[in-house]
Amino acid sequence: MSDPIYTEIIIDEARNPQNEGTLENPDISQHDSNPMCGDSITLQMNVTDDSINDIKWSGEGCTICKACTSVLTQLIKGKNIDFAKNLKKEEILSELGLEYLAKQSPIRIKCALLSMKALKLGLYSYLAKKLAGSLSLDNLKDDAANLY
Amino acid sequence: MQSIESSIENIRKDFPILKRKVRDNKLLVYLDNASTTQKPKQVIDAITNYYNNYNANIHRSVYSIAEEATEAYERVRDKVAKFLNISKREEIIFVRGTTEGINLVAYAWGRKYIKEGDIIVTTEYEHHSNIVPWQLLVKEKGAKLEYIEINDNGELILDQLDKYLATGKVKLVVFSLMSNVLGTISDAEKIISKCHEAGVKTLVDAAQAVPHMSVDVTKLGCDFFAFSAHKMLGPTGIGVLWVRKSVLETMDPFHGGGDMIREVHKYETTWNDLPYKFEAGTPNIADVIGFGSAIDYLSQLGMEAVRKHEMELTQYALDKMSQIKGIVIYGPKDVSKRGGVISFNFHDVHPHDVATIVDREGIAIRSGHHCAQVLMEKLNVAATNRASFYIYNTKQDVDKLIQSLGKVSELFKL
Ligand SMILES: Cc1ncc(COP(=O)(O)O)c(C=O)c1O
Repeated sequence: MSDPIYTEIIIDEARNPQNEGTLENPDISQHDSNPMCGDSITLQMNVTDDSINDIKWSGEGCTICKACTSVLTQLIKGKNIDFAKNLKKEEILSELGLEYLAKQSPIRIKCALLSMKALKLGLYSYLAKKLAGSLSLDNLKDDAANLY
Repeated sequence: MQSIESSIENIRKDFPILKRKVRDNKLLVYLDNASTTQKPKQVIDAITNYYNNYNANIHRSVYSIAEEATEAYERVRDKVAKFLNISKREEIIFVRGTTEGINLVAYAWGRKYIKEGDIIVTTEYEHHSNIVPWQLLVKEKGAKLEYIEINDNGELILDQLDKYLATGKVKLVVFSLMSNVLGTISDAEKIISKCHEAGVKTLVDAAQAVPHMSVDVTKLGCDFFAFSAHKMLGPTGIGVLWVRKSVLETMDPFHGGGDMIREVHKYETTWNDLPYKFEAGTPNIADVIGFGSAIDYLSQLGMEAVRKHEMELTQYALDKMSQIKGIVIYGPKDVSKRGGVISFNFHDVHPHDVATIVDREGIAIRSGHHCAQVLMEKLNVAATNRASFYIYNTKQDVDKLIQSLGKVSELFKL
C-alpha cells in the first residue's frame, strides 16, 4: 500500500534516526517546540574553524519531524557554517519526497521544518555573539521567523 | 422522550456539514466535538435571520428593529436560565467563551480579593484556560497555585483538597466538571460541599459538561460557572459566565465602556445594573441569538437523551477499541463516570501521524496536547489522539475510526 507521506523511507528514517543524542559541551544549543502539537526538539552543535564538526538532536516528535531532523543533521554534519546558514527548506523536503507538503498541509509543514527553525535560530545566537549587529545576521533571523 | 438513536437520521439531516465530502471524496466523519461541535441549520438560520431582518444595536434605541433585537438577545438570557435552572437572570453574563469567563473572574474578583500568601487550588486535568489566568494572578499577588492530582484511573484525589483547605489559606478552588482529555466527570458535589464548609469559593469550568449532560447550577452550589456556546451546537465567540449574585455585587467591572455605565462624568462614573455592568460595548448580538437556537435544539432532544446516547456510543467505542492490540486508553473505564471523550495512543505512533492517516478516510480526530500540557506531563506523554462524540455520531462512525486504525498498522508495519 502506498501513501503520499508515510513512505517506507520516512518511516524507516524516523524509526532509526541519525545523530540522536546530546553533546557534552556544545557551542550551540537551541531548543524549539511547536505549540500546536507538542513536537519539541533540541539541536546541539560543535563548531571548529567555522565547520560544524558534530551535531546531535534530542526531544519528542512525530514521524515527519523526526525524519526531517535526522536528514537535516546528516546534511550539515561536517559542513561549513555558511552552508548551514544558507540551507533551503526545499533541500530537506526533497530528500524525503515531501516537496508538496508545503502546499498540501500548512499544518504538517511545521513538523517538517521545526529542526530547521532551531538550526537557524541556533546559528543566529552563535553568530550574534561573534559579529554583533551585522546585517546578514538579521536576514538569518528573518529567515527563521518566516520558514512557515 | 424519544431516544436519539431512533431519530438519528433526522438529526443528521439538520447538519448541512455532515453531507460534506473531504479529501478523496470521503464523507466527513466528525469526531472532534470536544474541540467544537457542528451547527444545525436552525442555528445558522437564526443568525442569518437576524442579519437579514432585524440587525440593530441593542439596549439603545426605540425604533422597531432595535426593540426586536434587544428582545431576542435578552430572551436568550432567559433560555440559559431555564436550561441550567438559574433563578436570577441578572447573574448571567454573556462573554466570548469559557476562557473569557474565567479571565473575567480572575481579573474582577481575583485582583480584588486574592492577597499575598493566599492559595488558589486547581487540578491536574484542567484546560490551560483554567490554569494560566490563575498563574498570572498569583504571580501578581504573591499568592500560590496548588494542584489536586489525579490517580491512575484519571480521577481527582480529593483527600488532597482536604490538606489544602486545612491550611486556612485557600480562597478559591477551580475545577472542570468534565475533563476535555480524560472525559472524567468530577465529583462536584463533594468538592463544593468541602469548600462550603471551609468558607471557600468555587469556580466550575463547565465547557465540556453543559453540552453533554443535564446540569443544575442552583443545585451545584458553586460561585462561578463558565461554558462556551460553540461546544454545544452554538456559534463561536459566545459563552456564559454565571456568578452568584451576592458575589457578583461585590465585584469591580472588567471592561469599561458603553452599556456598562449608568452615568459618566468627566472624572467619575457610576455603574449599570447587573448583568450589564459586566457587558461593556456592543455585544455579539447575532451569535447570542444563534446560541438561543442551539439551546432550543438541545432542550427539544432533552439532555438526558443526549447523555444516554453518548454513554452508549462511548461504551461501544471502549469495548471495540480495547480489543485492538497496542491501544492505550486514558481515563475512567466506567462510562457512568466519564463523558464521550476518548483519548488514546496507538503503539508508538505519534498522534499527529495517526490523525493524518485517519484523515485520509475523512475522519476528523484531534491529536496533540489538547491545551492540557500539565496533564500530558502527568500522563508522561507528549500528546494523545482524541475522539469525542456528539448527538449526530453513530456506531458506524466508531467502526470507521477503528478500520482506519488498521491502515495505521499497515503503514507502520505494526
Ligand atoms: C474543559 C475546557 N475548558 C475551557 C475550554 C476553553 O473554551 P473556549 O476556547 O471556548 O474559551 C475548553 C475548550 O477547549 C475546555 O475543553
